[in-house]
Order: sequence, then structure tokens, then C-alpha cells
Amino acid sequence: MGTIIRKRPKLSNPVLVACWPGIGNIGIMAVDLLRRMLGAEELGEIEPWDFFYPKKVLIRDGELQDLEFPENKFYFKKTGKRDLLFFIGEEQPSDSGASYAEGTKAYKMANLVLDVAQKFGCRRIYTSGAAVAPIHHTTLSRVWVVPNSESLLEEIKDYENTVLMSEVEGRDGQGNITGLNGLLLGVAKKRGLEAICVMGEIPIYVHGFPIPYPKGSKAVLEVLTAALGVVIPMDEIDGLIRQSDTEIESVYEKLPAEIKEQLDKLKYIVYSKPPKPITEEDKKKILQELDKLFRKDTGRD
Amino acid sequence: MGENKYFKLHTRQKYDTSSLIVVWNQDVGKLGPRVSAYLAKELKARVLGEISPEGFFSLSGVTVENDVAQFPESRFYGGQNKNLVIFKSDIPRSDWYGFIKLLLYVAEKTFKVKQILTIGGMVLPGAHTSPRTILSIVNSASIKRALSSLDVVHDMDYETRDDQRPTFSSYLIWAAKNRNIPGTCLWAPIPFYLMTLEDPQACKKILELLNGYLGLRISYARIDDEVTEQNLKIARIRREFPELDGYISKLESNQGLTAEEGEKLVKELDVLLRSSHQA
Repeated sequence: MGTIIRKRPKLSNPVLVACWPGIGNIGIMAVDLLRRMLGAEELGEIEPWDFFYPKKVLIRDGELQDLEFPENKFYFKKTGKRDLLFFIGEEQPSDSGASYAEGTKAYKMANLVLDVAQKFGCRRIYTSGAAVAPIHHTTLSRVWVVPNSESLLEEIKDYENTVLMSEVEGRDGQGNITGLNGLLLGVAKKRGLEAICVMGEIPIYVHGFPIPYPKGSKAVLEVLTAALGVVIPMDEIDGLIRQSDTEIESVYEKLPAEIKEQLDKLKYIVYSKPPKPITEEDKKKILQELDKLFRKDTGRD
Repeated sequence: MGENKYFKLHTRQKYDTSSLIVVWNQDVGKLGPRVSAYLAKELKARVLGEISPEGFFSLSGVTVENDVAQFPESRFYGGQNKNLVIFKSDIPRSDWYGFIKLLLYVAEKTFKVKQILTIGGMVLPGAHTSPRTILSIVNSASIKRALSSLDVVHDMDYETRDDQRPTFSSYLIWAAKNRNIPGTCLWAPIPFYLMTLEDPQACKKILELLNGYLGLRISYARIDDEVTEQNLKIARIRREFPELDGYISKLESNQGLTAEEGEKLVKELDVLLRSSHQA
């Protein structure tokens, strides 16, 4: 169980941006796009065998040629200011085979990632994920930001379009971040490293479905690029947002009027003072309707 | 290798060279377990050793299947023929690579395994009366050559679909390849309407192949009886239930069934065959 590092670049005061897939692929889409747009170079990887079940077998002429495992790669980018290290995991490791990281494997992977980060001199880590929120898909996603130390709160408050857990209605500063995007914050804290998780909002009625939500990813990208002091073109993510808007809208249009009426209330929700919140019963009904609708759509494939 | 925390050896018998047949309890039409049970009886095999479930399976309770509590098993069996070892196991639920490493280590060090043959069933969208050909996936050219004279399909191209994962057998022979152990996965087609039941015909096909390839000299008498018995039962059901006969006839003439027809055939045949087993 180890890491393979293929290059030894000298990095100046680097920051690690790490991400694994999660709800709506919000974090991974943002971080991977940032890596690609910055042209980060491959640095190395974590050996996958002990963490993952293989994802693909390749057989040619009856002979097993190769078995592919989910990739877990490190990348780096020299920026001239604060250099960047990226870690992108294709899957979250789990002892029980669950979608989100848990158990000893997750803890081992978090430690391996931080071992490499520290080897290259990182003292600051960003992770990214999704925040399931009572928002409408036509509204702007905000970014929930969670640091692993009180000393980072002041800095975070300067990030645009962000909220702290204490500013999210009904949360009272409490919550949890599932999977490795959260666990890494804790392991970094244990090692005395600064870490911040940025989570793009995804509408509550979209999060359970197997479609990405690029609007949340763009919100994350805006926060990350500002925090890291880099600029990237947003054309690609804007294109994905247009495509996703069309897809979600086509599903939305098929919803019964009664459900749409309930969901439309979300357009007017403002944090801490929603005018007339959706009740738990409403929420259950909406999710059931959406589930039916999505299942119908899937069945046609 | 002697005993350790993860492996217990129950024999003092020494092995010089052997072939390892691997079957998984979670198999289409219970093919692997059926083949191993048949071989074990024919070869008068007994338990040679076992891998502990700890670390590879959830031990937070037991699962219940067909009213009976189950517990994961991972056992090596062998008989008088010291050139053959059978490994019958549940597919591990976690630490798959650790399990495979341990299995290969025990196979090499304890049983001096020189080749691995995994057995599995694959779903056939056709009728039980259609010809069955075993499909072979190999991990090296040497074992492909060795199998070339047998009645197997050995030139398939395949890539796992995005919504699927490789089989555990493929994973095993990939890891075996990295240790230079020749290996093959032998897949026997099982009609989709028998996959929840048993398919003695597929079992016989595999037994014939193993007999020819490994020179086991086993008798087919018991499996022949089972094949005859099941064919008679299905023939009787076809006579008594014209709708089901119509579905099977469509499959026999290479026509597809609708999802509804297929589902009905699976469900009703399952009930009828099970009740005739009990009768």
C-alpha cells in the first residue's frame, strides 16, 4: 500500500487541492477542470490495489490483456507564486463497498495523500464537495465553507458568495461532511495542517439523481480560483451549465403542477428567513414524484 | 507454509505440482458449487485447509438464504489425486486484493499450484436445448495453447461496460498472471430461465472439459441422470403449459422474447421446476 512519485519538482509554498467524487460530482468537476485549465502535470499516484475493486477488464482474442483500477493521481503546477498540488481520486475507498469513503481504507488513503502533500511542503489543503440545499435550480449556487481551524474563519469570511455553517438556516453551525472530502480535513487537523472544504450548493430535489450539477461546480471554481490567485477560462463550465439547465428543465416541465408549485417556492428562499418553507411532508412527496419521473426516463434507454 | 492467522492447514499431505480449480458460491445457476461438489464426491475429496473470513467478510451477523443461516467459507479440498486442489469460496466483501494475494500465496507455497482454472456460469439468452460452448479467457499464451485442442471458444474480445465491474475470477487470473501462474476462466452458458435454479447440462459440459484437460477419469453417471431428469421435467412442463412451451420454442428458433414474456418464463418455470423437485 503506497505511493509512486515519478517527478520531484521543487515547489514554492504549495497548496494542495484534493478531491474525490461525491454528490452531483460538484467538487470533482470543479477541481478536475481547474487542473486541466491550469495544465497541471502528472506527479505520481497512489497504488490502487489495496483500496479498490478493478473497474474494467480488457480481453483481446481470448487473452486477458489488462485490468484497470480507479485512478488516484497527483499533479502539480508551478504558478510563479504559490505553487499548486492536485490530488484527484476517481473513487472513494471504503471497507464496506459503500459509495463514500469510510473505515480503515479511507483513513489510510487520507494519510497517504497528506504524506505526499507534506513531502512537497504543503501547509494548506483545500477539498471540495456538494452541499445539499433548499435552493431552486434556476438560482445561483452558493458555497458552504468549512475550515478545520478557528483561525481560518476570518479569511474565509472574505471569500465571495460563501456561507459558513452557522449562516445556513437551521444548522446552527453544525453539520457533517461525508466521505474523504470531509475526512481529509480531520486528518489534516490532526497533523496541524490548515484545511478548508468548499461545497457548492445543489438543489435538494436534484441531489439524489445520477446527474452532475455544474452550476454548483462553477460556484466552487470561483471560490477556489480567487483563493488560489489563479485565473482560468470559464467557457467549458458555462457550456456544461447550459446543457444541464436544459436537461433539468425538461424534467421539471414534466412534473405535476402541484409539485412544481412546491418547488417554485425555493426560488424565493433566502437563508435564515425562508418566507414559507417546504414542509417535511412536501419534501417527501416531491422526492417521490421526482423519483418516479427519473425512473420512467431511465427505463426508456 | 504452515498455519497463520488467516490460513489454517488441515493436512500433512505434501504436494509437488497441482492444478487449482476455483469456484465461487455466488454463481449463475450455482454452477461452480455444483461442479466442485460433483468433483469432490468423485475424487473423495476432503477439506485440506481454509482461509479465515476475518477481514474479508462482514462478520456483524449472518445472512439467511432459503431459510438457512449462512456463513462465508473459503476452503481448499483435495482427494487421492494430489495433482488437483479445489478452492470453493464466497466472494469476499472487502480487501479483495488481500484475499487474492493470500489465496495465490497458499496455492503456490502449500499446494505447489502450477495453473488455475476458475469455473463460472454466464447467462445465455437462448434455450436449454441450444448447443453449449464453453468460453475461455486466459491470462497467458501458454495456457491458451494448452486449451486449444478442447471444445472451447478462446478468441473473444471484450471490454467491461461502464456500468459493470470485472468478475472476481478475472481479477484472480490477472493477479495470477503477475505471479507467472497460467490461469483461465471457464464460462459455461446457462439459459436465463435456469439461472436461479440449477443446470446439470452446463455442469456436465464443464466436467467433460476438466476430465479431458486434467485427465481426472471421473464417471458421468450421476450427472447424466440429472440431465435426463431435468430435460424430462422441462418437456413435461412444456406439454402441460403451452404458453411456456411457446416462449421456449421462440428461443429455439432464435426469436427474442419481450421483457414480459421472459419474466413470465423465468418466474413460472422456477415455481414449476422447484415443485417438481419436491414432488
